[in-house]
Amino acid sequence: MDQPADGGRVPTASGAGRLLVAVYGVFALAATSRAGVQLATRFHEAPVAYLLSAVSAVVYVVATVALARRGPGARRLAWAAVTTELVGVLVVGTLSVVAAGDFPRATVWSGYGEGYGFVPLVLPFVGLWWLRRTAR
Amino acid sequence: MHAAVLWTVVGLSLGLALVGLALSLLDRRADRLLLGGVAVVEVAVVVQSVVAGIGLATGHRVLSAPTFVGYLAGIVLVLPFAVAWAWADRSRWSGGVVAIGALSVAVMTARLLMMWQGRA
Repeated sequence: MDQPADGGRVPTASGAGRLLVAVYGVFALAATSRAGVQLATRFHEAPVAYLLSAVSAVVYVVATVALARRGPGARRLAWAAVTTELVGVLVVGTLSVVAAGDFPRATVWSGYGEGYGFVPLVLPFVGLWWLRRTAR
Repeated sequence: MHAAVLWTVVGLSLGLALVGLALSLLDRRADRLLLGGVAVVEVAVVVQSVVAGIGLATGHRVLSAPTFVGYLAGIVLVLPFAVAWAWADRSRWSGGVVAIGALSVAVMTARLLMMWQGRA
């Protein structure tokens, strides 16, 4: 069984948390690849949008690693990453709708993640809920 | 490359996703049978990447070659990572982890198909 190494808390990567980390891993791969291609081939076309794309990639990678690890440090990092993710998808999603010209469909978060079945919008809520649930 | 190669991968990976999901729902541990299914799908994915890569190298045009190549390279990594993560903590959720990987392979292959046919 899992040894509580997190101040008596349940590790975030135990039980159904394995699924959550897997989904985060998929988005880490998707966002990183997307940002990599954009920065390498079309950076001059839309620097702001593509830097945001890179930010989203970093957020997903950090969230994946932090949720996969155990311990209070990893848990704090996961809180920060998932909160940033929530703010990111809401802000970038809103900007991409109200200022579509400045935000071409260029990031995972554009249109609240509509290009990815809106999973990017749902994921941070599930992540925060899971962090709360496993903290009890 | 015939689109049938991609459709085969879509079908196989969706089948694998259903099996993985069923294992989790039925509270069954992932076993060697699931591992065998992963191996079959992974072989098909590798064949797909090689065949599509050859197609690209021999003159087939896609809208964004870097994106297409990125998908071809990335898709072969998904199932090995999923299995490693699933088997690191064998539980009822291992099948679900494999299902998430398999579903990602299906979605990525659908995107590859659209790019191959010049629709994206």
